[in-house]
Amino acid sequence: MASQAEIRPQFRRQAENISIEYPYIWRAQMAPKRRLITDTFKVVKRVKTEDKVEKELPVLEQEPETPPLTQREKDLSELQQFDLDWRYGPCIGISRLQRWERAELHGLNPPQSVRDLLLKTGEGTDYTHCLWNDYPL
Amino acid sequence: MFSDLTSQKDRTLMNPPGSECPIFERVQPSYTSCSERFRLGERSFNRQYAHIYATRLMQMRDILIARAKQTWGAAVPVRRLCDLQMGEQCCIVGTIFKHMELQPSILKEISEEHNLLPQPPRSKYISDSDELILEDELQRIKLEGSIDTAKFVTGSVIAVFGAEKNDGKFTVEGFCTADLPAQTARQPLSSERFVLLASGLGLGGSKADSLLGLQLLVDMVTGQLGDLGEQNGAAQISRVLLAGNLLSHSTQDKDSMHKAKYLTKKTQAGSVEAIRMLDELLVQLVASVPVDVMPGQYDPTNYTLPQQPLHRCMFPLSTAYPTLKLVCNPYQANIDGVRFLGTSGQNVSDIAKYSSMDDHLEILEGTLRLRHLAPTAPDTLGCYPFYQKDPFILEECPHVYFSGNAPTFQSKRITGADGQEVLLVAIPDFSLTQTACLVNLRTLECEPVSFSSFSPEDDEDTEMNISH
Repeated sequence: MASQAEIRPQFRRQAENISIEYPYIWRAQMAPKRRLITDTFKVVKRVKTEDKVEKELPVLEQEPETPPLTQREKDLSELQQFDLDWRYGPCIGISRLQRWERAELHGLNPPQSVRDLLLKTGEGTDYTHCLWNDYPL
Repeated sequence: MFSDLTSQKDRTLMNPPGSECPIFERVQPSYTSCSERFRLGERSFNRQYAHIYATRLMQMRDILIARAKQTWGAAVPVRRLCDLQMGEQCCIVGTIFKHMELQPSILKEISEEHNLLPQPPRSKYISDSDELILEDELQRIKLEGSIDTAKFVTGSVIAVFGAEKNDGKFTVEGFCTADLPAQTARQPLSSERFVLLASGLGLGGSKADSLLGLQLLVDMVTGQLGDLGEQNGAAQISRVLLAGNLLSHSTQDKDSMHKAKYLTKKTQAGSVEAIRMLDELLVQLVASVPVDVMPGQYDPTNYTLPQQPLHRCMFPLSTAYPTLKLVCNPYQANIDGVRFLGTSGQNVSDIAKYSSMDDHLEILEGTLRLRHLAPTAPDTLGCYPFYQKDPFILEECPHVYFSGNAPTFQSKRITGADGQEVLLVAIPDFSLTQTACLVNLRTLECEPVSFSSFSPEDDEDTEMNISH
């Protein structure tokens, strides 16, 4: 088995070399046939449009996607910093807003920006609940 | 009883029956319930108890720092445990945790699987090896020195003064508690008014003779006993407060849990008949006087503190009267400007189990000085997992601070540092002592009223019977 596998690429190389060494007349005969096929089936055009779409789409996606991701990441990291601040007490089992309100009630002066952020974004447990919300108790 | 009021001697029971009966109007006190903070709206049990300790410390820290500066001078350094320098004399505010070898633990119960005998229930779980540990938000440190380990219980927030020694333990030189909160002055009353406190009616129990005492109590309050003077006195009772354990412990028969379903299918829960009796008793009372009914340890409501009011559908007869008030277990109300606060006694009896203190009045005073109704909740006492506020912290000093289901009647007046006057009352268990107590709202004095139908010798006998 191993010997066959070694031999095969050599055959291929030989075949490629052979194809290059086709006589000129043979090439002339094959060329017009190829043109006809591509004209009738318009393969070339289809490939071109696909290429265009592929090139244009990534440009469109990348530009609007990157800013919300960073904004979201910024928000989330601010909220996670709030989670990690031990002064405001434990965070598991209650929502971030409840924790903020408790801290406010006991005069611990939690950052107002966190509350604004929580009220603005509202939905999704990423925002409303703490970092460890998904872990079972 | 009603010492001044019974002086009317012009007409007694010896008179021939007359056509006219005098009517004694019952006094109508002003009453506002302040128990809202013990009412539960949503009941979510998926939180941990860390929140309650965290909020307790948050709420108490400022109070204790102020108290520490009062005690050890304004210059005393107040440190958190993480900033503690070895050998520096400072003050720390934290929550006590008492490490107890004998404390029952679910992990030890699981050790049954290893063929070990489960720990027998005890009356006290303290031992000489107990250690006090002070915890703040981040760390904990062992306490030693001049602090009486046996008297403290887990969950009390205190300030300690001392220094950390080489061995990593904190040597306590002194400690202080939050002490009594501020008190609003009560308006002086022009006339005598009484509130009758009773607890531990123990209906549905095996002791039938307590029913006679109970009926006497009802008849006394409703003015069907004694001569006109006594009836006039009874009319001064403006309110009756039943502080828990209306039903006997024996109504909580757990047999049906262990027996096969087909054997217990037709048996009725013992509490059904007991509640019916309670309803019949209450209807006599509420027809004449406002009654507050607090649930207790053995009553059919939730087990965890704060216990919510008994449901009114259990009292089809008496619920028609607006005078029946079904209230929470920690109870707080203003009656004629006198602030009442108290529980059915679970908090006190739990502290008795986990500290060296036995005397219910002493424990009651201790909780008042700690400014916390139930420090052992949620450690050894069932408690709802609060997260925002610890409702058991006293924000205002009551005038009457009571706990129910004590073994004997005790009462005491204490005066706080800022002139707060508090009447402490340990309300005796009625089924054991046949005793209720009357609080005079004008003078803030308390006296026991005994309905025992037996002589003291017989009482001893009956007490003997209880122990069997």
